[in-house]
Amino acid sequence: MFILIIKNLLRRKIRTLLTIFGIAIAIFLLFSLLTFNQGYKNSLVKELDLLGVHMLAVPKGCPYEAASLIVHGGIIPKYLKEEDLEIVKKIPEVEIATPIFLAQLVEDDRISIIYGIDIESYQKVKKYWKVKGRFFENNENDKIVIGSDIAFQEKLTVGDEVYFKKIDKVYQVVGILEYTGGQDDGFYFLPLKEVQRIFNKEKQITAIGIKVKDLEKVDEVIRKLEEIPDLQIVTMTQVLGTILNLIGQANSLIFTIIILALFISSLGVINTMLISVFERRREIGLLKVIGANNWDIIKLLFLETLILIILGALLGIVLTISGNKFIETFIKGIIIHSPKKIEFNFDWKIATTIFLYSLTIAILASIYPIFKAINLRPMETIRSSDE
Amino acid sequence: MNNEIILKTEKLNKIYLRGEEKVWALKDIDLTIKRGEFVSILGPSGSGKTTLLNLLSGFDKPTSGKIIFLNKDISLLEEKELQKIRSKYIGFIFQTFLLFPNLTVYENIVLPFYFNKKKINKEKIYEIIEKLSLTHRLKHRPSQLSGGEQQRVAIARALVIEPLVIFADEPTGNLDSENAFNIFKIFENLSKEGYTLVVVTHNWELISKFNVRKINLKDGRII
Repeated sequence: MFILIIKNLLRRKIRTLLTIFGIAIAIFLLFSLLTFNQGYKNSLVKELDLLGVHMLAVPKGCPYEAASLIVHGGIIPKYLKEEDLEIVKKIPEVEIATPIFLAQLVEDDRISIIYGIDIESYQKVKKYWKVKGRFFENNENDKIVIGSDIAFQEKLTVGDEVYFKKIDKVYQVVGILEYTGGQDDGFYFLPLKEVQRIFNKEKQITAIGIKVKDLEKVDEVIRKLEEIPDLQIVTMTQVLGTILNLIGQANSLIFTIIILALFISSLGVINTMLISVFERRREIGLLKVIGANNWDIIKLLFLETLILIILGALLGIVLTISGNKFIETFIKGIIIHSPKKIEFNFDWKIATTIFLYSLTIAILASIYPIFKAINLRPMETIRSSDE
Repeated sequence: MNNEIILKTEKLNKIYLRGEEKVWALKDIDLTIKRGEFVSILGPSGSGKTTLLNLLSGFDKPTSGKIIFLNKDISLLEEKELQKIRSKYIGFIFQTFLLFPNLTVYENIVLPFYFNKKKINKEKIYEIIEKLSLTHRLKHRPSQLSGGEQQRVAIARALVIEPLVIFADEPTGNLDSENAFNIFKIFENLSKEGYTLVVVTHNWELISKFNVRKINLKDGRII
């Protein structure tokens, strides 16, 4: 019987291919979304870990947006005072409090993200940092440390000079960070005082990175920190939650569209099978005449549908795996809070879910055509073709 | 031919409803067909030939009367049982040959074995293929064959299950006179070999050339 199924599918090659392709695209979208959702979360967690602090103190306003910008780079229009840093440092449960001044230099052809840091305290937070060359001293206002991506893109090595046209100043590269896999690879690091001077914001900072001595005392630290006026605390868990929530909302919309795409491709399968049943009603009639029972007809049509769906699903999964770089670029292009690198891990659970879903579609898509086929009156269909 | 009766009808009636009007498609048909008989059902259009064929092959139920096949009244049987009987004991041949265009000649011939659970008897199949002069055509597609050859493939497909009865509905309707004659010649030979053939046709001229038992229908009655 299998030969009958295969030969029938091959008989209408273009239609079969188009149906398979329609299913493949829908599966590709669904599989990509599910896989990248997981990868996105994992990458974001990893990236927040790389930040090295447990929480950020940011100016009151939109704390999560501010925290996210600190992770990924951007401009925060509000500032904290340096005195706030001193108050934070005095809290006994705080192990490290490091000031951050984040800014952007927008020039003709590039946007440079500038990270002003207090190198002594910041190095304690970024213990994993390794540098080719050396770090600057806090008072070296003409020295710069750059991320590995910047060095690669701008073809810079230790000892080279970086010129920022907008501020008309040249800095000497004293160190290049070894690849971190995080957003740090794309930043320019300067001494805090120098960045405050450039942007004319002396004694002001964008955020304070805080590491606590004992994680169990995080709530207590937050309570104490929130007593400081103009300051708001965002923990990394909250940042993660907020970004995932934002992504989740976008996902819901995308998910709805994909479900619609799947529904439409299912209609395509039903249509293909219905046309197939209509075109072959004589043949189905004949099969009944020469001995096929209803169960044989059901098997025949169901297996045909199943083959279409399985081939479509497999092609969709192959497309997702082979096109994951493209999808990553696409997602990063449309989502502002995207991690530097989104992990793509083939997940058998997701693949199994997709297959089960495909199987359900196959069953649903074949019900109506099968119903039509088994209710054909063989002699009438054969006769009608004779006349 | 022996005297074993394999198909018999008693007071067979079939009434269709056309709106509120009753139309007698068949009226009091009493018929006996013996093993090895070559029977033709003749009659003009609308005389009830096809209705009778549908009833004899169990594809339709009579309004009243009996159809005895292998000592069973098949008009009382469920579709599942009828399907078993058809797949084991009955071969069918149609006017338009009804071959699967995407299958080869050989695949078309052995098609009934995919469904009737009988074991393929290759020796028997090749004997039939040879008898019908199809040996050189086995790997061809139906579209590569002439009309006469296609009908011979359909005959082979009907024969491979070694049926007790072969029903043929206007088997020469799509053939020229030479091929039509050849097909009836094959039927005659099959009858001599012991196959029972029931052929619906309106080709009087052709029938007159063969030793066939004629059943003439007019307005649903045997005349």
